[in-house]
Amino acid sequence: MGETINILVVDDEKGIREGCRRILASEGYSVDVGVNGKEGLELAKAKQYDLILVDLMMPVMGGIELMEELRRFDSEVIMIVVTGFATIETAVDAMRHGAYDYIPKPFTPDQLLVVVNRGLEKRRLSQQTLRLMEERDQKLLEVANEKSKLHTIVISIADGILVINREHQLVLWNPAAIKMLGLRGGLEAGSEINRIIPQKDLVGVIDKGFSPDSSQYTVISEEIILPPPDKKTIMVNVSRVRDEAGRDFGVVATLNDITTLKEINEIKSQFVTMVTHELRAPLSAIEGYLSAYLTGAAGSDPKMYQQMMERARQRAHSLLELINDLLQYSRLESKSVTRKKEHLDISEIIVNTVELFKVQGSAKDIRFELNIPDSFPLIEADRSEMEQLFTNLISNAIKYNVKNGRMIVDARPEGHFLHISVSDTGIGIDEESLPCVFDEFYRVCGPETRYVTGTGLGLSIVKKIVESHFGQIKVESELGKGTTFTVMLPIKQDKG
Amino acid sequence: MGKKTKILLVDNDVDFIDLNKAVLENNGFDVAVAYAGREVMDKVKFEQPDLIVLDLMMEKHDTGFAVAKALKADPIYKGIPILMLTAVLGETGMDFSQEFDGYWMKTDAFANKPLSPEELIKSINELFVKNKKG
Repeated sequence: MGETINILVVDDEKGIREGCRRILASEGYSVDVGVNGKEGLELAKAKQYDLILVDLMMPVMGGIELMEELRRFDSEVIMIVVTGFATIETAVDAMRHGAYDYIPKPFTPDQLLVVVNRGLEKRRLSQQTLRLMEERDQKLLEVANEKSKLHTIVISIADGILVINREHQLVLWNPAAIKMLGLRGGLEAGSEINRIIPQKDLVGVIDKGFSPDSSQYTVISEEIILPPPDKKTIMVNVSRVRDEAGRDFGVVATLNDITTLKEINEIKSQFVTMVTHELRAPLSAIEGYLSAYLTGAAGSDPKMYQQMMERARQRAHSLLELINDLLQYSRLESKSVTRKKEHLDISEIIVNTVELFKVQGSAKDIRFELNIPDSFPLIEADRSEMEQLFTNLISNAIKYNVKNGRMIVDARPEGHFLHISVSDTGIGIDEESLPCVFDEFYRVCGPETRYVTGTGLGLSIVKKIVESHFGQIKVESELGKGTTFTVMLPIKQDKG
Repeated sequence: MGKKTKILLVDNDVDFIDLNKAVLENNGFDVAVAYAGREVMDKVKFEQPDLIVLDLMMEKHDTGFAVAKALKADPIYKGIPILMLTAVLGETGMDFSQEFDGYWMKTDAFANKPLSPEELIKSINELFVKNKKG
């Protein structure tokens, strides 16, 4: 073993004590001696012994009592009884009290060594057993750790997981699955899935995973819609579980909540539908005017065709505007939009933009009024987007105005914000339409707007620009009186 | 020759109205127009049309159906044939037909938009022929 073997001899007879010490020391063992039970106990408490020789008959503390005490704190130590009354009874009594063996007095050195070595062999074996047991326990602990690691991973996965055995019983699941399916508590491993999963569609998809023609590499993927009130869309992937030998264990179903993706997709296709509609309407009008012109379907009055051609040209122009707006809109939508924000004097942009509309305004005899204070705080903004913003607002204020009307731009700082309002004295917007004016392609319909061309994107673009500059926009309107759009943009704060 | 046949064109698409009005007039019809579902009843009373060309999607997606239902429920006007124009096929994949939907939607004929003035005149004439037989 390489390690020192410690032996304790407890005997009141000095001859026996010393004899044993000499014999055992000559074998290379380290030997201590005690003269009675009490001293022996003290020694044994202070040091770990492999084997203890105990005399039965001792003063102060006898051998039986000593062995009882020793067992209390060391269950492994080998105890051998040395006795002068080597009867069956004393031997049995000693064994009952935990002795491994006994040796009758008097004994020869060889007899002592045979008994001691047998005891030590037993000690070695039992220690080995102990070590192996410890190792096994350690391994079990590791396995348990591995299991709990896997368990932790499974319960932490955001997708729902259901493992179902060949008997169609649920054997493993995670909280995400419970939450998605709204399964109530009391879920037990081994429950039949068609009994505990109320969503029949899901059970159907899982059953497909069991069908004989689904091969090892097939993953069955299907979307299911959970019944109300959830109405969630779940992507279910079912794959077979097989061991190395190819034996079937069952299936694993992963559930992925794709409701949000679905909604985004829905919005996208609605948008595409709207765009196609908006593109098709003016195009089919142009086609209609052109074919009427070519076939002469509208009669022989050249004035009529002159009007039709003028209208076709207007429609072509508005199509171009629409496409420009769409490009602008998608530029604002895209995440990679780079704004060149600089410190801007908005008053300059407003004055320049208003100047551009002078001709259009005078065609309807619209009076422009600008109320802009001399000293004007700077804002941090993208110049071209600001130009676009005021172009759209002012152009609306002229388009939906009446003859001899007014277009008023007011600008004033208020707190941390710059308030800029663009007002007209035009047709106004009815209460019902007002909340919708910023929606894509929303256009107020009425006799007054029938011949006004527009893309339905101008105000959507305005709103996007304002929001991307951390501002706000609001609209007030009265039918027949006019409309006011107020833009609030944060003023550049002086640092330090 | 007596009174001209009068058609009421109902659509919120001003181009559609203007173009088809010109073409129908050139083909000998009298034409009245309405730009929204809510204008139809008044126009029908005032103009007494012989046939109504009604667009389905105006204020709402089903305005045309609502107008048709109201007209067919009216004892005076229920005899006026209605040609319903729909543009839903391309957008929703939903197709309406007189055979399957006419009874429920209270129409007398369907036509899909976009359609040319010639196709419109053809549909109108077919509807007149059908109504004379029936």
